[in-house]
Amino acid sequence: MGSAASPLQTGLAERLTALFWRRPRVLLALLLAPPLLWLGLVYVGSLAALLWQSFYSIDEFSGVVKQEFTLKTFGELLLPQNYDIILRTVSMAAAVTLASVILAFPVAFFAARFANGRWKAVFYLGIMLPLWSSYLVKVYAWKLILAKEGIITWAANGIGAGSVLDAVLTTPVIGGNSLSTSYLGTFLVFVYVWLPYMILPMQASLERVPTSMLEASADLGAGGLRTLWSVTLPLALPGVIAGSIFTFSLTLGDYIIPQIIGNSASFIGMAVYQLQGTAGNIPLAAAFAVIPILIMLVYLAIARRLGAFDAL
Amino acid sequence: MTTAVEFSSVSRHFGAPDRLVKAVDQVDLVIEEGSFFAMLGPSGSGKTTCLRLISGFELPSAGEIRIFGENCSDVPPNRRNVNTVFQDYALFPHMTVRDNVAYGLMVKGIDRRTRRSRADDMLALVKLEGFGDRKPAQLSGGQRQRVALARALVNEPRVLLLDEPLGALDLKLREAMQDELKSLQKRLGITFVFVTHDQGEALSMADRVAVFNQGKVAQVGSPSDIYERPATRFVADFVGSSNVLPPDLTRAFGGPAEWASLRPEALRLVASAGARVTGRVTALRYLGAGTRVALESYGQELAVLAPAGSALPETGAEVGLDWDAKSLHMMAGA
Repeated sequence: MGSAASPLQTGLAERLTALFWRRPRVLLALLLAPPLLWLGLVYVGSLAALLWQSFYSIDEFSGVVKQEFTLKTFGELLLPQNYDIILRTVSMAAAVTLASVILAFPVAFFAARFANGRWKAVFYLGIMLPLWSSYLVKVYAWKLILAKEGIITWAANGIGAGSVLDAVLTTPVIGGNSLSTSYLGTFLVFVYVWLPYMILPMQASLERVPTSMLEASADLGAGGLRTLWSVTLPLALPGVIAGSIFTFSLTLGDYIIPQIIGNSASFIGMAVYQLQGTAGNIPLAAAFAVIPILIMLVYLAIARRLGAFDAL
Repeated sequence: MTTAVEFSSVSRHFGAPDRLVKAVDQVDLVIEEGSFFAMLGPSGSGKTTCLRLISGFELPSAGEIRIFGENCSDVPPNRRNVNTVFQDYALFPHMTVRDNVAYGLMVKGIDRRTRRSRADDMLALVKLEGFGDRKPAQLSGGQRQRVALARALVNEPRVLLLDEPLGALDLKLREAMQDELKSLQKRLGITFVFVTHDQGEALSMADRVAVFNQGKVAQVGSPSDIYERPATRFVADFVGSSNVLPPDLTRAFGGPAEWASLRPEALRLVASAGARVTGRVTALRYLGAGTRVALESYGQELAVLAPAGSALPETGAEVGLDWDAKSLHMMAGA
């Protein structure tokens, strides 16, 4: 620390350096131990505890958790009111992911292939900037934007498209009284909030596709669309999958957006939140929480089977 | 003979008008059908840009490019009947070797069965039978090179473009591929245009060589033309590192007062007494097949290639030089 290190300190530091030099695995182990402990104990440990809890059940009369192994709680997930929540959440997550892929691709493609220097900085700033402000602030801002008295209704009426908006809102299921109280509104806010998580990995994977590969495709007679379909997309697929893991799992687990925007229909995240809080039904909350994990595992297995990671 | 590719004062400029980079500058070039044509030059000389002008990845800033008589300045790459073997091969990593080779046929809408059999035929042609089901990542560099070749040739292009095709291969493999490419070209009769910075490769493989320098064609000719009768100082120096003699030295060597080139292997070391030209040995470099003797004469550095087994002088020794008069080549274009 001081200006003149004592000979002993120097000796110790040098001996340590020599030890690490001779046995690089010791250094590796020292470096990896803290994160592995953190991930292993705190993260995987609590996941295991969660899974464990889901095999318990609750006594319907006393409301006390019975600590015996049973599949009863998982069976409760199949009750219509619970099954509806799962179906609703998964459909929403799928829709959000699909929309994110479609919206993100042109942006990511531009950033990866054409932007350089200053435009690249503008791109990163534009994508990251929304992430700097609080998630809650953004969601409440959207509530105002989508409200019946909000800017969208005002603008639609201003350009004479108020009837179009009304027509959209009368669509069964996704419509509602206003955008901020419909599934459509929930969907729009989800897409807005998670879009950066799709763009960034997509851009990274598109950037890794060598220009010569696109040229080779053109050279062999392929037009732009054919190249996009047969070369660009398959090679960018790992990035699309990575991004969709974010958008999909973040939507599956979120409990704030559907609470603030939408028609108060329950989503998995909200169910977990309510069950472990007010209802005190920890086993069912745990069982609900296992659903997104299972879905993601199945999703990854399918993606792998389809060759999404072949280009890695 | 038909002209396969013709450049008429073609230029390709990059950058803003105030800082213009003339990658290709007023190039005229005729490539005959069925020839093996090499574009030779140092990096940044414009040879690769010329190749990309033929394939359509670059468009000329001025001038006209005709492929088999058809002006194709506005034709996109996918509509040109030329195919390219890329420097990095650019094989699609997510497809099998067979699908890579059949890509061009798939794009054309040829049915799966025909595609498969033609791809397999092509793989056999490049000696890769049985490799169709592998992924490019499972192949060696030389094998990938062959796949890239098969993928281009399966489309039966009238002109095959090769961008430094052997650059990434080690020496032994490169020599083997040089012979193979040459015999393949003879067998198929397709026009091959290949870019290289390796003068040995250009001389040994090509029927005709265009030497590029700073965006211009310095000389076009047969390999022996280029090597034995270089038109400019640059060509003499770049192709085979010749001794480039300034006019006064040429006179000392018995020629007119002009720039001349004299190949190191055309010079013989003799006793200094009574020699026409003498010099002092400055360095010796052992090359295996011979020894390169550097010497200073009239204040100019000269190189002599002494064949293996001949007596070598010591550094600092005074030696005489002898040569055949016909090996002294005047360069009018210097």
